[in-house]
Amino acid sequence: MTTLATLTVPHDPFTLAVRRHRRVFYALSLLALLLMGANLAIGSIDYSLGQVVSALLDPGATNDLGFIVWKIRLPRVLAAAMGGAYLAASGLLLQVYFRNPIVGPFILGISSGATVVVSIVMLTATGMQMAFATPFLTTFAGCIGAYAVMLIIVTVAARVRNGATLLIVGLMMGYLCGAVASILTALAEKGKIKGFVLWTMGSFSGFKWVEIGILFFFGGAILLSIYLLSKPLNAFLLGEDYAASMGVAIRRFRLFILLAASSLAGLVTSMAGPVAFVGLAVPHMARLSFGTSDNRVLVPGAALMGAAVTSLCDLIARMWLNPVELPLSAITAFFGAPIVIWLLLKRRGARL
Amino acid sequence: MNDLGLIRSENLAIGYGAVVLSGMNLDIGAGQFVALLGPNGSGKTTLLRTLSRHIAALDGQIWLAGRPLAGYTALELARLLAVVLTEKAAPPLLSVLEYVALGRYPHTGFLGRLTVEDMAVVSRSLAVVKAVDLAERWVDQLSDGERQKVVLARALAQEPRIMLLDEPTAHLDLKHRMEVMSILRGLCRDRGLTVLAAIHEVDVAAKLADRVILVKDGQLVAVGSPEEVMSSGAIAELYDFDDAWFSRELGGMEIQSDGRAGRAFVLADRGEGAIIHRLLARRGFSFVAGFPEEADLDAHVARALGAKIIHRAELRRDGGLERAIAALDACDFLIDAGGPAEEAGVYCRLFEAAREHGLPVLTQNAEMSGCRHYRSLPELIDALEELSQRSEAKNH
Repeated sequence: MTTLATLTVPHDPFTLAVRRHRRVFYALSLLALLLMGANLAIGSIDYSLGQVVSALLDPGATNDLGFIVWKIRLPRVLAAAMGGAYLAASGLLLQVYFRNPIVGPFILGISSGATVVVSIVMLTATGMQMAFATPFLTTFAGCIGAYAVMLIIVTVAARVRNGATLLIVGLMMGYLCGAVASILTALAEKGKIKGFVLWTMGSFSGFKWVEIGILFFFGGAILLSIYLLSKPLNAFLLGEDYAASMGVAIRRFRLFILLAASSLAGLVTSMAGPVAFVGLAVPHMARLSFGTSDNRVLVPGAALMGAAVTSLCDLIARMWLNPVELPLSAITAFFGAPIVIWLLLKRRGARL
Repeated sequence: MNDLGLIRSENLAIGYGAVVLSGMNLDIGAGQFVALLGPNGSGKTTLLRTLSRHIAALDGQIWLAGRPLAGYTALELARLLAVVLTEKAAPPLLSVLEYVALGRYPHTGFLGRLTVEDMAVVSRSLAVVKAVDLAERWVDQLSDGERQKVVLARALAQEPRIMLLDEPTAHLDLKHRMEVMSILRGLCRDRGLTVLAAIHEVDVAAKLADRVILVKDGQLVAVGSPEEVMSSGAIAELYDFDDAWFSRELGGMEIQSDGRAGRAFVLADRGEGAIIHRLLARRGFSFVAGFPEEADLDAHVARALGAKIIHRAELRRDGGLERAIAALDACDFLIDAGGPAEEAGVYCRLFEAAREHGLPVLTQNAEMSGCRHYRSLPELIDALEELSQRSEAKNH
């Protein structure tokens, strides 16, 4: 029996995998930084790279360039990167939770739920001059909307063990919330409508620094806690029953996943509006490029990839038909929807 | 380590809301292989899920290793007890090695980082189930049999003292079925692991298990060694057999026939008859087994197949031959597969009787006249085919 005890697996695949993961991390970080830099440097008004860099180094400057870089471009760059990262992490959690690759905060209607509650707050509270003045309020509203839809989805999922039903319920939630939003639009003051409609199509423009702060601290804390809990998240890959048998306190952990996933989606949606498919597609792109389902790698990996992808989409949305700015969700849908169809085809005959 | 009482229950009642099984007093010792037998829906899975604390007991008490089950933390329980469920848990993009390493969960620290010792346990677990060569494959691309071995390895990586398995060999081919079972058997014997497995193969349970638990209709029917409790009658009752029979002596199942194809009188003994008996049952014939000794294999097979048996001793008693001829009267044909020379006289009388009643005679003996000869089993099968067609034609 001693030969068994000393037996090791050839080539130690663990080490090989870690090396590959590290390489992908470096490449992804570089890509994300490059795209963020491009978003900062390229805009409807042409400045040279040197001008932008010098403006960045001089936060106090009062010229046009300083204003554009510090008040418009930089907040947008940071918001897009963080928003993408959080949506991807939220989607990853949902995919692990439902053990279904074709879910994400948008497709399950969680973003729509957040949109509706935020709309109500925005459109009714503007009379009191407070909606955009208090980003905390809209964040809170977004989370409440996301929790409400999540509660419905989880209730349905507990009764119907069928992935396709889950998607249909999510779609219906989306329609329902869309209906409520359009009724609200009809009732709203004319002056508010354009901004509101643009917001419901998803956009990272017009972020204030206080919103960036909320995104960074609130979202960052959730993202960090998800990473710290990636061990039980891995156990969850085998399903709840196996996870419980390995020592995961299942009820508490389930609640954590649901709260974290919907908080992240609610947070991003409350500020940027519903952004389609990032939460669904990015975890897959991360899984394939890292070549693993290990969540210790995927939580930071998907966040990084989400930042890169959303930055790229935002760049396209801003610059493709410059000076017209396209809705972000239109761009993300262009690459997200084909991925959903591809996944459906791949899984035909399987569990879904 | 005490020998008894690793798993103990008192007056245990289990179920989902409604009681499925009640009044259970179990006492399972270390190193035992315990098979849980019973028809579908009898509560086998519910019992396993209650012992693994996936669901709460409705009434009564459970102790594991002397401590009340409710007193364990989730991690303590995971170090004592591992499960193998029927669910196919094979996530994509997870290597076998990573999958098995997940079993180290209750032993690893922050972020589940593996120590050298953890890695050694993982390799050892893979070696025990003979799956080292699968280490670098993706779990979702394994065959059913390979996956089940890997699932076992993951459970082993928890280094449990108790393993609960729910139909661990369902959907496996014969080779993997036997492999999984012998791995489990070896783990009990060599490592003192206690295995409680719900299985459907009665014959495997009878051969492998130290103890069996029979459950049916909300009750523990019996608990004990297979020799004590797995009588043919008990098994037939457990599963409500209509046309099947578990033979303890043969250690296997026999499938009985309704006799619609006709009735044969078979002359055979010393194991020559068993294969012909099964052949007849398979093709829908009932039969009378002529003159095996009581301990003869042929007698056991014939009994399991529900045939009428005339033992050699019975033949020798007064009026034995007459009773045999009377039994022959009720048959459609006679098969002679040979027999002891000292009974040649009896055989002649039976052949005569068959001829008088116009019954066809199938024989291996080429010297017999007026009979249908067969030299091999395929030829016998052809002959039976003709006979069953003839009897069908007669019935119409």
